[in-house]
Amino acid sequence: MIYLDNAATTLIKPPTVPAAVSRAIKTMASPGRGAHRPAMAAANEVFNCREEAAELFNVEEPERVVFTMNATHALNIAIKSMAHKGSKVLISGFEHNSVVRPLKAIGADVIVGGTELFNPEGLLRDFERKISGAELVVCTHVSNAFGYILPIYEVAELCRENSAPLIVDASQSAGILPVDMKKLGAAFIGMPGHKGLLGPQGTGILLCGEKGRTLMEGGSGSDSISEYMPEYLPDRMEAGTHNVCGIAGLRAGIKFVKEKGTENILKHEKNLLRIMKKNLAGTDYELFSGDDDCQCGVISVRSPKMDCESLAQELYKRDICVRSGLHCAPLAHKSAGTIETGTVRFSFSPFTSQEQIVKCCKVLRGIV
Amino acid sequence: MNQYLIMCRSLTYAQRAERVLARKGISAVIIKAPQCLLTNGCGYAISLHRELDRAVLILKNNKLLRGKIYKKEENGEYKEIVA
Repeated sequence: MIYLDNAATTLIKPPTVPAAVSRAIKTMASPGRGAHRPAMAAANEVFNCREEAAELFNVEEPERVVFTMNATHALNIAIKSMAHKGSKVLISGFEHNSVVRPLKAIGADVIVGGTELFNPEGLLRDFERKISGAELVVCTHVSNAFGYILPIYEVAELCRENSAPLIVDASQSAGILPVDMKKLGAAFIGMPGHKGLLGPQGTGILLCGEKGRTLMEGGSGSDSISEYMPEYLPDRMEAGTHNVCGIAGLRAGIKFVKEKGTENILKHEKNLLRIMKKNLAGTDYELFSGDDDCQCGVISVRSPKMDCESLAQELYKRDICVRSGLHCAPLAHKSAGTIETGTVRFSFSPFTSQEQIVKCCKVLRGIV
Repeated sequence: MNQYLIMCRSLTYAQRAERVLARKGISAVIIKAPQCLLTNGCGYAISLHRELDRAVLILKNNKLLRGKIYKKEENGEYKEIVA
């Protein structure tokens, strides 16, 4: 099997990840619900993961690392903490439904800026024109559909100049590009644990620059006499028992990323991207690709002869796993002009090999 | 042997305090705080047997001293210490 759907979930994990999950399920109980050995083992595991994440993302205080179910959960907390009905919110033209839908659900006044694919300068110019009066900016770091790296640090600077709080969707960049909480000065950064951080599904992280509003209330193991959630992080945002097994796996994934280095992971994925582009050059496939510095290891492809679902089916038959359609990002496809057709997306991981990409391209050439 | 309890507002703060002290060579353990010292239902404390003054200073410098400090008396009661 050639697995090229890493932008959805990285399937191949470092061996330390399942080992950590297995150890946790056998030895760990509920963190913050007792001081016996299995409870404290769980508490230590969760805290160790907080510390690992805080270090990777340059967060000064580990309590500002909040564990969530996934990036969607994290982004919902962030957006519903910062925006309300009628809030003027500026977003990029490449946002996922995990940003668009919560904003629509609360009735925010959404303004879209920067809709040209692989044009970071154009995005900044458009944001400059539209940011005035924005009560919030929500911007993805990397488009999940196209691998387009948005100029997030410049967007953060623009937000500071205009006193607009920023929420960053780091779903496709965490573990691949530098995500620096201090440098971004973001109100919140949301990310999944199961993509570039190589953890299990059911894990996510919210980095909190603000205290935020609760999306869910319940037991926290602290201030139990109060009928309200604690005011302090992370307890305020973490109602109910943690996904300890998932967090244990996530910690192992983060450790792998730190040992390998995001710069090396990015270099590897960009190299695979170049190989894919080179091997499909001269074919009928339409490749959505930009300059080397504004695309990471995700590429969308379209065939003039076959719709994207049929093409994906042909690849599945040959044991090549990709994602076709709109990738839960219709806004991104609208911006790129692919809303009517969708695309087939190929996305890489540290475990994707050059041989796999060459083989995949050979198969693609054979299909058309 | 003396036992001192430094109350922490959450488990995460207790963990941070315990790690900071460990890095400075002070051994402390996290315990569930005795109910008689709590007003908020559940809480954690770090327990240590020596070097209280140095521990307090380290925690203050790291902005981790947010709760009261108690000494366990021979009769089992806790007496508040003003740091």
